[in-house]
Amino acid sequence: MNCRHIKNRLLPTNTSLCSLVLFLSFLLMALLAPVIAPYDPYIRFEPYRSPSLEHLLGTNDLGNDIFSELIYSSRVSLIVGFGAALMATIIGTVIGLFAGYFKGTPDEILMGITDIFLMIPQIPLIIILAAFLMPSFYLIALIMGSLWWTSTARVVRSKALQIRETSFVEAARSLGFSDMHIIFSDILPNIVHVITPKFLMAIASAMIAESSISFLGLGDPTAKSWGMMINFAFIRGGFINDYWWWYLPPGICITLFVLSVVLISYAFEESEEAALRIE
Amino acid sequence: MLASLKAVGIGKVYESGLIFKSQKTILQNISLELEEGQTLGLMGVSGSGKTTLGKILAGLERPTAGRVLFGGKDIQRLHKKEFTLFRRQVQMVFQDPEGSLNPRKSIEEAIHDVLGLLKIPKGEWRERSLDLLETMGLSDELLCRYPGQISGGQNQRVALGRVLLLNPRFMILDEPTSALDLSVQAQMLSLLKDLQRDRGLGYLLISHQSDVVKYMAHEIFILEEGRMKPMS
Repeated sequence: MNCRHIKNRLLPTNTSLCSLVLFLSFLLMALLAPVIAPYDPYIRFEPYRSPSLEHLLGTNDLGNDIFSELIYSSRVSLIVGFGAALMATIIGTVIGLFAGYFKGTPDEILMGITDIFLMIPQIPLIIILAAFLMPSFYLIALIMGSLWWTSTARVVRSKALQIRETSFVEAARSLGFSDMHIIFSDILPNIVHVITPKFLMAIASAMIAESSISFLGLGDPTAKSWGMMINFAFIRGGFINDYWWWYLPPGICITLFVLSVVLISYAFEESEEAALRIE
Repeated sequence: MLASLKAVGIGKVYESGLIFKSQKTILQNISLELEEGQTLGLMGVSGSGKTTLGKILAGLERPTAGRVLFGGKDIQRLHKKEFTLFRRQVQMVFQDPEGSLNPRKSIEEAIHDVLGLLKIPKGEWRERSLDLLETMGLSDELLCRYPGQISGGQNQRVALGRVLLLNPRFMILDEPTSALDLSVQAQMLSLLKDLQRDRGLGYLLISHQSDVVKYMAHEIFILEEGRMKPMS
């Protein structure tokens, strides 16, 4: 018998569908950048050209095609967003699960470490590290990932504390399953609905933070990202001369991507709540 | 030789408060012995410590005083291998039938987990799962369903079936029928009696339903203010 048909399936709403299409479009844009982009973003044409059929968003101060730059920049922005969010979610989930499941001394130690990390002013620290260390997007993603796990850890811990007292976890302990099996096979699947929105929101936060850092001129000047594009437009006359085709498109891309991520996160939470009501 | 599960002088005290600690005594100097093929009934009002005593006997909670002896050995001092054996031979069935199974796992996955724990080759899982459902009087179409999609009685039978895969000698039955309607209760009790007759299982039946306890138990005790008294 095929078991697939039994699972409850929830129909997506229009909003969630639109946000998913938007999200996937950006992913495809990053993956297929060399195919979609009309030019190499480093090729030079005549500088400061207005939008035309040849250059859809004109050219920047160096003569690079802005439309191609916009498409290629999605790669760095998305890598930083996903990388930092993935790292923060994995660390936060593991720490939260262990603290909540084992309680007692392990909980006190792990939550003590979490409290210490919570006290660190994160954005100023990222700015200081980005300013003093070699500018690199991977480094920024690494720093953000290693600092932003605290809220995930707290939420996961509280859920794990709640689930560890349920009958099915006690039944699993009574049957003789190992702690690791109970944590990762019984507790973790029951908190995925809490972790997923945290992960999605972390992507959005990381992308905004990366853009802010790049806009402040602390990003990697050799790599192209949406934040870096706005920074270049700001310091090289794009804003003063009102070359909207230079600074507006990356801003719109950041906004739309973050919006799509946030809407998917809400849709996921809503579908989980609906699934619980059905159960 | 018949094995036994013995509680000697069990006490349990819960503490609360950070600076000014307050203590609540749940169990005081409780001794009992479970034997194979016998049912010991335990009654008491809600909050009297019946479940706590059951969990202590199943090794799921530590007593603050006294010892639990399995085959004459203190379970807190068993080596890892011996404790694994104890774990398999003393099982607990919980009150909430639906809550005893992971809501995110299908019945098939829930059974396969136990078969994996017993290191049974994967090729036999399907057959063993179907055998289990047949033994418990359940249809094979349940395999694909989730705990929220089947009735309380069916959930309780699956939970019991999973426990039986381990071939336990003693079972702590914590109000196994309280969440079921009358006709399903009768079926469940009769199933438990059949299993006891066929496998020689020893039960500690925890319940507040005197009819159920009287029907099942060879000896009945009442838990009152932390102490255990035989029922007159």
